[in-house]
Amino acid sequence: MTTSALPSPLPRVSLGALVERFGLLILVIAMIVLFSALPSSGPAFRSVLNVQTLVANQGVGLVVAIALLFPLAAGYFDFSVGAVASAACLVTAACTATFGLPLWLGITLALAFGVGVGAGLGWMVAYLEVNPFISTLGAATLLGGAIFAYTGGLQITSGIPRELTAIGSGRVGGVPTIALAAALIALVAWWLMSRTVFGRRLYAVGANPRATQLLGVDVRRIQFLSFVASGTVAALGGVLLLARQGAATSDSGMTMLFPALTAVLLGTIVIHVGRPSVPGTIIGLLFVAVLVSGLTLVGAPAWVGQVFNGAALLIAVAFARLARARGRAARR
Amino acid sequence: MIENASGADGEVPVGTAGRSRSVVLRGEHLSKTYATRVVHDVDLELSSGRLHVLAGGNGSGKSTLLKMLAGVVPADAGGAIVLGGRRIAAESYSPRAARAGGLRFVHQDLGLVDPLSIAENFALDGGHPHRLPGWIDDRRLLERTSEDLRRAGLDFDPRIPVAALRPSDRTLIAIARALREDPDADAARPPLTLILDEPTASLPITEVDRLLDRLDALRAAGHGIALVTHRLSEVMRIADDVTVLRDGNVVGTGPIGDFDQDRILALIAGHVPERLTRHERDSSRAPVVLSARGLSAGPIRGIDLDVHRGEIVGVAGLVGSGRTTLLRALFGDVPAVGQIAVDGESVPIRSTRDAVAHRFALVPEDRVREAAYLDAPVWENLSAASLWRYRTRLGLSGRRERRAAPALISRFRVRTPSAAAPLAALSGGNQQKVVLARWLQTNPRVLLLDEPTQGVDAVARDDIHRTVRETVDGGACAVVVSSDVEELEQLCDRVIVLHGGRLVQTLAGARVRRDILTAAIQQENRVA
Repeated sequence: MTTSALPSPLPRVSLGALVERFGLLILVIAMIVLFSALPSSGPAFRSVLNVQTLVANQGVGLVVAIALLFPLAAGYFDFSVGAVASAACLVTAACTATFGLPLWLGITLALAFGVGVGAGLGWMVAYLEVNPFISTLGAATLLGGAIFAYTGGLQITSGIPRELTAIGSGRVGGVPTIALAAALIALVAWWLMSRTVFGRRLYAVGANPRATQLLGVDVRRIQFLSFVASGTVAALGGVLLLARQGAATSDSGMTMLFPALTAVLLGTIVIHVGRPSVPGTIIGLLFVAVLVSGLTLVGAPAWVGQVFNGAALLIAVAFARLARARGRAARR
Repeated sequence: MIENASGADGEVPVGTAGRSRSVVLRGEHLSKTYATRVVHDVDLELSSGRLHVLAGGNGSGKSTLLKMLAGVVPADAGGAIVLGGRRIAAESYSPRAARAGGLRFVHQDLGLVDPLSIAENFALDGGHPHRLPGWIDDRRLLERTSEDLRRAGLDFDPRIPVAALRPSDRTLIAIARALREDPDADAARPPLTLILDEPTASLPITEVDRLLDRLDALRAAGHGIALVTHRLSEVMRIADDVTVLRDGNVVGTGPIGDFDQDRILALIAGHVPERLTRHERDSSRAPVVLSARGLSAGPIRGIDLDVHRGEIVGVAGLVGSGRTTLLRALFGDVPAVGQIAVDGESVPIRSTRDAVAHRFALVPEDRVREAAYLDAPVWENLSAASLWRYRTRLGLSGRRERRAAPALISRFRVRTPSAAAPLAALSGGNQQKVVLARWLQTNPRVLLLDEPTQGVDAVARDDIHRTVRETVDGGACAVVVSSDVEELEQLCDRVIVLHGGRLVQTLAGARVRRDILTAAIQQENRVA
C-alpha cells in the first residue's frame, strides 16, 4: 500500500540508553569487583563461604519480594506479604512440630493458608473496592497479632522436620539448596509475568484498568488473581523461612516487608523503567545484599544497612518517577 | 491566487462590514531553528476587528510560531515583530514586550485550576488584592472578578469552582481572564489582541458554537484575534483571513474569500487528498450483521437497529441523547435490556468479554483514559487486543509481537519514531491510529467507533476514515458516533438520529448531508 520504509522494530540502542536500562546491574558488578579487590574486605568477601551465605540469605527475601510483584504489576501495594510469610512459617511449624502432621501436609496447609489470605484480600480489593493500602496493612496487623497470640512470643524450635531444615542449610553442588528453590520460584514467576497472557494483562490492568476492561478482559478477576498469587508465593516464602531458620519466630513479618519493597522498587529502574519485574527484583536484591555485606566486611557500623535500605528505596522511587516523566516529555 | 504572497499593506478599508482595519501585529521574517529549521521566514499580520486563522497539520510549525509571538521561544536573529507601531527585533522580544504590546494568549489547556473558584483563577493571573501586606482581601477579589465577568458578558458567580463549568464555559472564562483590563491601563489604548491555540480541539461540536459566537462578538468589539484550529468547517465559518503552514513555511495566505475547504485541505496536506467519495450504494440488501431489538440502557429507550454487511451507520444527536450509551450497550459495557443478534443469531452480551468474544471492537471517545497505555511501547499497544496470535508452546512471545509491529505501523500510516517508542511520544492522531490498528487485527465483525477523529488533524482524519471504509468493505460493519456532521456525511451510508434516548429519524443515501443532519439533530420529536 504505502512505500515508506518500515521503521526498525527496535530503536537504535545508544550507549546512554543501555546504561540507563542496566545501570543498576553494572553498579552491582562494579561493587562486587570493588569489595573483592579492597584489601580490608577482599579475602573475606571473595571466600566461597561468604558467597554461599550471601546467596542463601537472599532466598527467602527474593520469594517475599516476588510475592509483592504480582499486585504491584496490577497497580496495588500489598503490605501483607511479610505477615503472610511469617504466618505460613508458623502454620508449617505448628502442623508438623506441634500436631505431628507429615511435612507434605504441613506445607500444603501453609500454602492453602496463603491462598486463602490472598483470595480474601483480592476479593476485598477487586470486588468490594476496598483501598488496598488499608486492607493489606490491616491484614498484616491482624496476622501479626494472631501470631503473637498463638506463640505467646515464644519460638517453636523443636520438632521441625529434618527434610525441611536440610533445604535451608544444604547444598547441591556447592550451591545452597534454598537459593535453588528460590530461583525455581523466580523462574515460574518470571514466566507467568512476562510469557503469558495473564502476565500481560496484569501490567495492562496496572497501566490502565479502564482500557483493559474495554479490551474484553475481566479486570476484577485479574486483580483478584494477583492477590491470590501474592498470598501463595508469600506462603512459599514462609515455608522457606522455616527451612532456613529451623524455627518459627513470633515475629510479625513486617521486617521482611521493607527489604522486599526496596528490591522490587529498585527493580523498576532497570530493564523496563517503571515496570516491576522478576529480573529487576533480583538485581535490586543483589544490589542491597552486596553493598550491605561489603560494607559490613569493610567495618561499617550495623546501622548502615538500615539507612542504606531506606535511601535506596527513596532513590529508586525518585529515579523511576523522573525517567517516566522524561519518557513522556519526548512527546513534542 | 496569492500563495506565498505577502499580505496587504497598512490601512485599507476592507470587508463587507466596512470595518476599518489597522494592523496591530506584524511578524516579519520569523524563523526558528533548533536542530533543523522548524519555522522558515514567516510573515504574519493581525488586524484589529479581524479574525485570522492559522491552519496546518501536526508539526507544521503553528505552535512554534505562536510561542515566538508570545516571546516564550526566541525567534532567530533577523526577524522582527511590529507591535502597536513599534518595531522590536526578534532578539530583544520577550513575553513582557508581548504583553505590553497588548497581546493576550489562551493556550489549549486553558491554564485553569479546576478545584479553585473562578475568582481564585483570575487571581492566579492578575494577583490578589491586599488589605494589609500578607492579608488577602477576598471581598475585593470577588467584586473585581464579578466586574470582569460582567464586562465579558458572562453571568457566573465568581465563587463557583471552575470544575463545575461546562467545557465551553471554561474556555470563555479563560478568554475573559486573558482580556481582563489592567486597572491602570491606558484608556486610549486599542483593544487587546487575543491569540488562541486550538480552543476547540477538546470541545464537543455542540459546545463549539458558543465559543465561536463569543469570538464573533469580540471581533465586533474591535479585538484582533488569531486562532489555531484543526477543524476546517470552523475555519470557513469564522475566519476573515487564513494562513496555512506546512513544514514551517507559509504555503497560502489571504482573505478567506480566496479559499475553499478543499483547497485549504490540499495546502495542509501538501497534495490533493484522496477524498473519500461517499459510496452511493445501497447495503440494505446485504445480509444483516448486527441487529438490536428493543435495546434500552441508561438514557436510551427501545432502540431497534439493523446494520448490514459493508455498511457504516452513523449515530447523530445532541450531548445527552444517548449516543455513547448506545455503543456501550452494544459492547456490553453498561447493563442493558433487549436483544442483540450477530449474523442472525441471538447472542447474550453481558460484558465486554462477551462482546469481544463475538468479534465486536470498540474505539472509545476518551483515548487517554479508555484506550491508551501511554507508557507502554507502541508494539505492546498494537498487540493488546490480539495476544492469542503471539502464543507459542512456551508462552507469549514478545519477539513475535515486536516483529509484527513495523508492518502494522506502515499499513495504518502511524507516524512514530519507532515501534519501541512509548505511545505517549505520538501525536493524538497517531495514537488513535494505533488504537484502531489494535482492533483491526482481531478481524472484527462489528466496529464501534466513538468520535473517532476528535482532536485529530485533517490528514490523520482522512487516514482513519479510509481505514474504516476498507475494513467495512472487507465484510464487517461499523457504527460511528460523531458530533461532527461533516464526518458523518463523509463516512456514513446511513445515519440514525437520537433524541432523548430514542431513535427519531433515519437518514440514508442522498439525505446524509450535513445541512439535513444538523436540522435533524436540532429538531425534536419528529419520529420517522
